[in-house]
Amino acid sequence: MNTPLTCIALVGLALCSGAALGQGQPQDEGSVSRAEHEALRNDLETLRAEMAAMRKARQANERAAHQDATQAPTWIELERMRLRQDMIEQTLLEAKYGESNFHFTGFAFTRFTNVEGADSSFTAVVAPIILWELSDRLLFETELEFGLETEDGEGKTEVELEYAHASYILNDYVTLGAGKFLTPFGIFGERLHPAWINKLPDAPLPFGHHGGLVPMSSLGAYVRGGFPLGDAKGNYSFYVSNGPSLNVEGHGVGTLDFENFGDINNNKAFGGRVGFLPWPEIEVGYSFQFADVTPSGFDQQADALLQSIDVSYVTESDLLGGLIDLRFEWVFSDVDDVAFAAEVEGHAEEGGHAEEEEEGNEAFITFNNERSGGYLQLAFRPTKSDMEFLRNLEFVGRYGWLDLPSGAPDAFDQERWTIGVNYWLNPSTVLKIAYEHTEIDGGDDFDAIKAMFAIGF
Amino acid sequence: MTTKTNSHTSIRILFVVGLVWVGLLGCKTEQQIADRQPDPVAMTQIGDEASLAITGGAKLWAQNCIRCHNIRNPASLSDRQWEIVLHHMRVRANLTAQEHELILEFLKAAN
Repeated sequence: MNTPLTCIALVGLALCSGAALGQGQPQDEGSVSRAEHEALRNDLETLRAEMAAMRKARQANERAAHQDATQAPTWIELERMRLRQDMIEQTLLEAKYGESNFHFTGFAFTRFTNVEGADSSFTAVVAPIILWELSDRLLFETELEFGLETEDGEGKTEVELEYAHASYILNDYVTLGAGKFLTPFGIFGERLHPAWINKLPDAPLPFGHHGGLVPMSSLGAYVRGGFPLGDAKGNYSFYVSNGPSLNVEGHGVGTLDFENFGDINNNKAFGGRVGFLPWPEIEVGYSFQFADVTPSGFDQQADALLQSIDVSYVTESDLLGGLIDLRFEWVFSDVDDVAFAAEVEGHAEEGGHAEEEEEGNEAFITFNNERSGGYLQLAFRPTKSDMEFLRNLEFVGRYGWLDLPSGAPDAFDQERWTIGVNYWLNPSTVLKIAYEHTEIDGGDDFDAIKAMFAIGF
Repeated sequence: MTTKTNSHTSIRILFVVGLVWVGLLGCKTEQQIADRQPDPVAMTQIGDEASLAITGGAKLWAQNCIRCHNIRNPASLSDRQWEIVLHHMRVRANLTAQEHELILEFLKAAN
């Protein structure tokens, strides 16, 4: 083992000696000095440092480029942004008045009434209507009426919900709806009652919220629609509602309370109207309503059948040079005869049909509880006149009547003649002045002057 | 009551006579409809088929609106407002689906 190691040690020693000897010899051209070596090494270190800096910078650039690339919007994001922008624009557009799903309309009026034998008075009413179209088929509509009640001399503000109902167009011929709605009974209550549409300052005798023969509005559900019949046209409206209640005491005994919207006996009223238009200018209609009107706690059964016929004829005549508007409605009310407690003095008319019975200490009255009423109204507006003033004038005449049962307390037949002149400031703004003469069977006749300024907006 | 019965009979006769009278005198409505046609310039910018539809809509608009109230200017409401109002009137006046569609088309064209 020692021999090879010894040999290697000797060879190494010899080489080292040779190298040491070579130090003192002149340098060959292929060798470098220490200084040059150091310089070269420094240069190398400098280059390495510069390369490292460059690599670092390049990597930083690459990272930044990669980051930009990952953060750039893709086409999906661009599409999303476009949709979002469209939604914002649509929202802004819908919020703009006249472009939203809501429409605000209605009417307002102020009326002056001077009735013979009573204090003259002004009154004012505003009735805003909100229409809300939730879709092409679904509509919600409501009308509120704010008015000053001045008949009692106090001038209290009254608020009334005229109607609030939703309707859904099921198909071309059927629309369903529910809520409080204007009763499709006759034509005045549903179509003609707004002040800017009604040709005279007041309602015809059988209509109106108080003391009328027909329900102006009902709480329930309805189905309605229109349909072509060749060149003619038909329409229908049927409804079920809580129905009226029979007044069984007080001065209005025997009349129907249409303002009682709560159901009184869990029996619903059924009614409707069917209209036929042989020509566009003429419409005839028949209406009916059947209801159990027995109030809660009343021990007798009472049903009521209301019926009505109506005719409308509206056309513009070249020969007469203007617009003719003819309306006719006739209402019949038949309520079962029942015995009412005779609490009102003077209820039985002389020669009337009232019967008074006495059971024990209580007195009862009964009478044939049939009522009827109607009106015939003709209006003419010379729309073809060369004079603008005449074109805006409208002349109106109306005859109305009310036949009430003989023997019913405070029930007197009435006839009323009304003539009026209207001046239209625009298609929905009108100034009306009318003179009325009312004849009361068994009472004093009286005259009245009524004026109204009405605006539909 | 006898006086009243006579009075009612007179009124009924008056009604029938009046109805026949105004029917004979007022049977023409063409001028009324012609007065409410949409802008002729606008009509030339649309096709014949659409033009016929709009003319039909104008006629229906005049016939149906005047049955209850005066006719308003089509420009008084925006297209969107007319859509809502026509929806409301379809329910209230029992307009047919075709009447609804044609009247709305006319109002938008005339607006």
